[in-house]
Amino acid sequence: MKLRLLLLGAAGVASAAQAQPVSPANPDPTGATVIAIPVLATSRNLETPSGSTWTVANQMTEVIAGDLRSTTRFIVADVKSLRIPSFPEVTAPTYSEWSGVGAKALLTGFVEARSDGRLMIGCYVYDVRQQRELARAGFLVAPADWRRAAHKCADVAYSGVTGNGAMFDSRVAYIAQSGAASAPMKRIAVMDLDGSKLTYVTTGTTLAITPRWSPKTRRLAYTSFEGGEPHVVVVDLASGKEQSLLPGGTSFAPAFAPDGQSLALSVSVNGNTDIYAVNSDGTGLRRLTTSPAIDTEPEFSPDGRHIVFSSDRSGSQQLYVMSDDGTGQRRISFGPGEYGAPAWSEDGKRIAFTNINGGSMRIGTMNVDGTDQDILTSGPYDSQPTWGPSSDHVMFERKNFGTGHTSLFITAVDRPDPHPVATPQDGSDPSWIGREQ
Amino acid sequence: MRIPFLIALTISCLVGSGSADAQIWPLRRYGSAAAKGAAAIPANPQASLVATAGTDTIYFARRGIALDPRIIPTLSAEARWLIANPTMTARIEGYSDQQDTRSYAVAIGEERAAAVRDFLVLHGVAPDRLKVVSWGKESPGTVPQGATAGTAGARVVTVVSDSGGPPLLGRR
Repeated sequence: MKLRLLLLGAAGVASAAQAQPVSPANPDPTGATVIAIPVLATSRNLETPSGSTWTVANQMTEVIAGDLRSTTRFIVADVKSLRIPSFPEVTAPTYSEWSGVGAKALLTGFVEARSDGRLMIGCYVYDVRQQRELARAGFLVAPADWRRAAHKCADVAYSGVTGNGAMFDSRVAYIAQSGAASAPMKRIAVMDLDGSKLTYVTTGTTLAITPRWSPKTRRLAYTSFEGGEPHVVVVDLASGKEQSLLPGGTSFAPAFAPDGQSLALSVSVNGNTDIYAVNSDGTGLRRLTTSPAIDTEPEFSPDGRHIVFSSDRSGSQQLYVMSDDGTGQRRISFGPGEYGAPAWSEDGKRIAFTNINGGSMRIGTMNVDGTDQDILTSGPYDSQPTWGPSSDHVMFERKNFGTGHTSLFITAVDRPDPHPVATPQDGSDPSWIGREQ
Repeated sequence: MRIPFLIALTISCLVGSGSADAQIWPLRRYGSAAAKGAAAIPANPQASLVATAGTDTIYFARRGIALDPRIIPTLSAEARWLIANPTMTARIEGYSDQQDTRSYAVAIGEERAAAVRDFLVLHGVAPDRLKVVSWGKESPGTVPQGATAGTAGARVVTVVSDSGGPPLLGRR
């Protein structure tokens, strides 16, 4: 799918260019921002393969509102009583109308069908009180890709208001589980953050766990149990072509380096598990840890220069950081209980983890040196955190021991608000990543 | 070559565990019988193993990788059964409990299964008849669900067959 970014001038006037830098935000760190999202405008209602531009504009508006409503950062104002803005008002809003419904922010936009068959879509975000534009973005998309443009419009609002990175134009890989608890079928699924575009990567005939995205979301690495021994497989999502990375051995816990050229993973030899690195074509295997204890769950820092992992070399499972060549290993977790399943935030500043203490598993975050630990969730079975591209939310799996079901949950890290991520079956072990631009 | 090796093992086991002595001497005898090709092939290998050893499953403490001395007789009986049934192979399946993180669970399941494999090899079973696999916490199997299910899964199951192991995905 192509999604071309446009530099917008006045509404309807666009030229192909790089992204408009998002202007500094007007963040309200203590509360939610009330945002008004009137129906996107369309100057002429033209038919497209995905419905009329008016229909697309309405659907996009619902998706944008749904995206923003899914976080605690926004309250979407009720604008049903207000007239729909005219096309010129997309770029020249009547601010008093929006302040009248309590909105502090306003998102307007337009959908236009072009003669070349594509849609031109523009989104604008305003600070209603200061009566100024915060951010804008425009896209040229095939009509069928209107939903992705809506996610990008929601990201314009999210970044413009919070000052954080984009969040909604993102993909989630996870383990979809169905069948009886004693004989579950576990297969890898990928979807957009809002649950759309769900597809299954593995068939379910063989157990598969720990999916991890490559950068640019073109490949997935995962652990397959086909043949009996766990082993890491890399699959190209476009072609479906799979490659067993290290045939004939026990390997698991893969993680792509941010450049996509190599992976870190665990290899077990005679019961001892260490961390290795290997090129993404399976060549160049090199050992990074040599302890006689378990070293596993490697995850890269976003600059690729460091790896966080878990090890029980101290006698209990704890978190360690090392350089990407295995040097400089140092323990970073010193709080109560055990620590595992680390994940490094996209902005490089924090590490999320599972803390196992007092019979309960909880999600927390800490600085990369282990300071400023913050437990986000209450358990009793929350595990496998993954950061979103905005570095202000983590997704994780939560098991309900009453029902036996496991679901994906998402929470803000500054003001925890764990709430479920809708999936058709049980979901676990998420890997969340922003889409390439 | 093999006999002195077993005697040395026996002595070390006698020193290490007083309860094991009764289990060790038959090991040599069965081993000799197997070497003469005297064993009949059991119709149901898994049931035969369980009948001999009492169980095919040994449990570990939470986060534990050491063999509990109380299960040494069970494992010794498993070794005897494998020696007495030389056409059989065994898949040593390690599991973790639900309160391990997912990949750590695979690693510790592997470590537990390797501990059982090492015991069986030390007690005379040829290494090429044993295959270690780990299911991590992915296949809860027969572990009861409920309040204690989170810590009840740390175990190793010996799955025997005449053809290298039952179909994949093991005991469900």
